[in-house]
Amino acid sequence: MINGLSEAFVTIQGWLLDRLIQPPLLAMGLGSYLEMAFDGIEFFLCGVLQIGAAYLLLRPLEALRPIEVWPDRRAVRVDVLYSLLDRLGIIPLLVFALLAPLFASFDSWLRFNDIIPPQLEDLFPSLETRPLLSFLIYLLILDFTEYWRHRLSHRFRWWWALHAIHHSQRQMTLWTDSRNHLLDDLIGGFWFAVVALLVGVPPGHFIGLLIVVKTIENLSHVNARLSFGRLGELLLVSPRYHRWHHALDLPGGRQYRYGCNFAVLFPVWDQLFATQYRGQAMPACGIRHGPLPESAAQSGFWRQQYEGLCALAAAFRPDPCRPQPIGRTDDYRQSDTHAR
Amino acid sequence: MLLRRLASSGHRLAASLVIALTLFAAVDAPAGLAIALNSADGTISLIDTETYAVTGKANVCKEPHHLMPTPDDKSVIVACAAANQLVFFDPQTGQEQKRIRNISDPYQLGYSPNGKWFVATSLRLDRVDIYDPQDFRLIARLPAPKTPSHMAFDDASQFVFVTLQDSNEVMAISLPTQKIAWVMPVAATPAGIVMSPDNRHLLVACMGDGVVEVIEWRYRKSVKKVATAAAAHNLQPKGDGRHFYVSNRSVDGSISLLDTQTLTVVGKYEVPGGPDDMMVRADGKELWATARFARKVQVIDLATGTLKRSIPVGSSPHGVFFLNHAGLR
Repeated sequence: MINGLSEAFVTIQGWLLDRLIQPPLLAMGLGSYLEMAFDGIEFFLCGVLQIGAAYLLLRPLEALRPIEVWPDRRAVRVDVLYSLLDRLGIIPLLVFALLAPLFASFDSWLRFNDIIPPQLEDLFPSLETRPLLSFLIYLLILDFTEYWRHRLSHRFRWWWALHAIHHSQRQMTLWTDSRNHLLDDLIGGFWFAVVALLVGVPPGHFIGLLIVVKTIENLSHVNARLSFGRLGELLLVSPRYHRWHHALDLPGGRQYRYGCNFAVLFPVWDQLFATQYRGQAMPACGIRHGPLPESAAQSGFWRQQYEGLCALAAAFRPDPCRPQPIGRTDDYRQSDTHAR
Repeated sequence: MLLRRLASSGHRLAASLVIALTLFAAVDAPAGLAIALNSADGTISLIDTETYAVTGKANVCKEPHHLMPTPDDKSVIVACAAANQLVFFDPQTGQEQKRIRNISDPYQLGYSPNGKWFVATSLRLDRVDIYDPQDFRLIARLPAPKTPSHMAFDDASQFVFVTLQDSNEVMAISLPTQKIAWVMPVAATPAGIVMSPDNRHLLVACMGDGVVEVIEWRYRKSVKKVATAAAAHNLQPKGDGRHFYVSNRSVDGSISLLDTQTLTVVGKYEVPGGPDDMMVRADGKELWATARFARKVQVIDLATGTLKRSIPVGSSPHGVFFLNHAGLR
């Protein structure tokens, strides 16, 4: 059964390469990108499967046990578009095309100066022949770095201006995970590439790592009454746990000024760095005031991108297109914060 | 070395006999072992060459690319690009022998015919490294824009010739001086490159144009472009001192047989799945090819010209080797 599915997958992958990708690549003199294109098709097919699985498994859950019911779901549509662009590889391809030459040049420069970037396996050679253990360790490392990337994106005013696009959705669903400003995606790609350069993420792990992360992220944004219980939420980010990260009204306390529950996969980072909030309720989501206009919750893709850029500009200097907050909270009054 | 000389001078029967006796003498070794390298999995698959059964799989490293035997055939070296290592395997048992670390991003490997130089290309980082094969000490690191891929040597070990895939060039590096001697343009996306048995021509498989470009290297002159098929990628000697197999690496791919004396294609085999690296059995009955896009090693019956076996291996198989091979010139 598994062999048959695997065979079918490879056949489709090969067919797409042969019929759709290879002819134009060769015609344009880009034949050396064929292997990369083959991997890209695998990413695309995995994305198709992942979107299909998310829709078939998580959408019924949202229908059966919704936290919120909205008579009008139009605001969700743009998140579906973001998900398609992200999971089918369009945005990752753009990010890769922009960053890969940059990092290859830097890596090459290092080698010419007799510096071979150290890798995890240099410290623990036994990992070389233990792919499962190696995969789990890389997952842990990436999740740790993602925690800090995410936390910093709330901490710096300019970064929050971009990341607020993700938080502006008030109808949070399984699709919301991919709702990000393109510049935020680029920064995320840069962050990942730096980590990969520092620890040496195995290319063979790359797609697997992304699938695990994206699947959990789909689940953690789902509009369904679902928690993993007290013990489960210590181990893995649940929809309830992550919902508090998106809460319209953050929990009180100075430590939550920039938000709470930043962990992507493993809540242990929030515990370690005192940003965890274990609320039992299922709060409403969105941002009440902040760097984006209220309309951002309903905006289309390009409008959101524009609004994000305006907010970014406003974060550096006052600008006429910067929206005025319609209300203030205790958090907002603090001069050193961009708080939500 | 002895086996190669025998084979290249036409004494294939004697060579086969010696190989057979050598294999027979190794009591604990499998009857015939093929090692296939799976780049995307970071593994090698061990295959019984008689039954075509996959008898084992071993984890190797991050992103291994090509493999090659040491000149004495006592080891197979796997180039671990992303892991910055060379991993040595026993070609009779498939057991790991040793690892050489701090070999920066090795992609394709080659020993000069005189055994004095060990060369590694770095496709991703645009450079060619020259090492001392005794201790793998780096002797020289040369910039090679863009995307240096495969390599060939002249018989006197004066030059190593490297294909530059993205800049559509062949670069010659003087080994005694470790300097770039010259660079010349060739057809689109050159990949595989070999020296003709008479040491006169470089044969360059150019994927973009589906040709093997023939270069009279002493005069840096393109002599002919022999059309094979789309995505002509790699070359492997038949072992008769005259013909080379050319893998045309598209999904519904093929392998062409090139006559180096007439510079014409004299045969063609349908080999699906993106045939890439190849190896010919010493008895000349079978050609093995890694099908890069099908996760298989394809075995072609050279007597009938048909696909005899498809052996499932790992993802992106990028090299195959067995001891009982035909001559490598």
